[in-house]
Amino acid sequence: MESSRDDFVIALRSAFLKKGVQQRFSLLTLIFFSIIFLILGSLNFKATNYVKIAIEEIVYRSSFVVSLPENLLKDNYLVVQSYLNLYKVNEKNISELKVLKSKTISNNIIEYENIKLKQLIDDYFVAGNEIFAKVLIDKKSPFLRSVIINKGSKNNIKLGMAVLDDIYFIGKVVEVNYTTSRVLLISDINSKIPVSLEPNSIQAIMSGNGNERGIIEYISDANLKNKSEKLIVFTSGMAGLFKSGIPIGKIDKKNFLANTEFMVDFYKDLSQLKYVKILSFKKEFLNSTVQVEKKTSKIDIENLENSKREDINFLKKQKEISKEIRKKLEDQNSSLNEQLIELRKENTELNKLISKANIINPQEKMKEKDVKFLELNLLYGNKCSKDNFKNILKKKYKVGTTEYRACVLNKGKY
Amino acid sequence: MSSATKKIKLLLYKNFPVILLFVAVLNETDFNYSNLKYFSFNFSYILIFYYSVKRSQSLGYIYIFIAGLLNDIVVGTPIGLSSLMYLILCVTASYLRNITLRPSLIKDSIFFLITILITNSLLFIALNFIFNYELEIFDQIINITFTFILYFLFSNIFNFFEKYLMSNNNVR
Repeated sequence: MESSRDDFVIALRSAFLKKGVQQRFSLLTLIFFSIIFLILGSLNFKATNYVKIAIEEIVYRSSFVVSLPENLLKDNYLVVQSYLNLYKVNEKNISELKVLKSKTISNNIIEYENIKLKQLIDDYFVAGNEIFAKVLIDKKSPFLRSVIINKGSKNNIKLGMAVLDDIYFIGKVVEVNYTTSRVLLISDINSKIPVSLEPNSIQAIMSGNGNERGIIEYISDANLKNKSEKLIVFTSGMAGLFKSGIPIGKIDKKNFLANTEFMVDFYKDLSQLKYVKILSFKKEFLNSTVQVEKKTSKIDIENLENSKREDINFLKKQKEISKEIRKKLEDQNSSLNEQLIELRKENTELNKLISKANIINPQEKMKEKDVKFLELNLLYGNKCSKDNFKNILKKKYKVGTTEYRACVLNKGKY
Repeated sequence: MSSATKKIKLLLYKNFPVILLFVAVLNETDFNYSNLKYFSFNFSYILIFYYSVKRSQSLGYIYIFIAGLLNDIVVGTPIGLSSLMYLILCVTASYLRNITLRPSLIKDSIFFLITILITNSLLFIALNFIFNYELEIFDQIINITFTFILYFLFSNIFNFFEKYLMSNNNVR
């Protein structure tokens, strides 16, 4: 029993203290060194911080170099994939572009209205210091979701600066070295960002889940699930570190059903970061009104020009339409004139016919009178003629005279 | 082959575990933190344990210590923590080497399992309770399981490398 314990102690002592071939330090010494490093690191001494920064500078650069072949392969794979998807992506982009173009003008107007309103409540921030940086290392560590960028205190990077990819918020600077910095991504568990959920303007704190999503914590509205289908997550600007309204991600209602937590899908894929924008925000004071006025006047001018252009286009179209109408009317007019001329011709012809008819009628009337005279002559001729001796006492007329004719037509009366 | 290239080749073969360890630590892709939910393993643990048990002279403790520091810097854990874990692994490997008369892969792997259980537990305690990092215990279990399973595969690969490539090139 005692000998086995001795063996254990001897073996353990040998493991800790024995320096192997070509070993300069025993394991125990190195363990002590590691513990000292840990303690010094947690105590935050200035000297150790400088040493740490120097080591970090070297390590980040060497890590970048070591990762080059792998990144080259990754990039090539992505290039090939993008070529394969080119046609589909292009079609999708074209359709999206059409929609976006129509939205841009109204968005601009809303944006500048927003600036004006924020100016009124003294909450208008401008990007003070804008720096672009390349992502050197993106080690997907579960302990620290972070990336290393190639800009440091040399380039005026400061702790707490906001980091954006395009217009989307992706993290903040948590460690600054001379030429490199570490950015804590919003997907990190320790990242706590004050956010606002729109359209209901609900304030909350968002932290990462250690993977590629965020979790909404400390939400002020428990009945949120019943309110809206989709929520958009923006920075709320609380604590004044970041400006409000930087888009982060969206919450889909589908996630509500699966989880009791509110999961945020980020707009940007945080595992595919290449270049990022580092910003610090400051409030605009004196010059702000002038700038806003300038901006707003600029937009007013743009709007005015746009409306003028629209008016001109409208008038042009109107002119074209009126031209067409005029042409049609002219055509109609000419055809009507032709019809009028023809009608006039017909009228004259008809008038001629009428006048002819008027010439024929008196003869016929004469004929009718003659016929009537002859009929009456047969009946009353004796009464008017001198030749009849019965009428010797009465006034008589010679046959063929006008008096005789009148007497006959009067039916033998004088 | 010229003598210079031969020398370089020999140097590379000789320092193969060191180079592999530094590349594993500095490279962006780390199987220890793969984005897959049910797959991750610690390649550095396998490499360190294997070479500490089999060929301790190939992988000096000082290199392991430095690799640990670099790993901490790259991953973002407190500096010195990974070194401590790597060195604990070396201690257990050294102890195993001292007590083993007839080495076998099964025994080594069981000892390796116990060791990684201890080191990961220590890491979990240190990060969770001292340095306030949040770790998923399930991920740790997955990591330990796959590290243990893949020890068999990698020890065979390293064996093959040591036996054929190194002996053919007369490195030892």
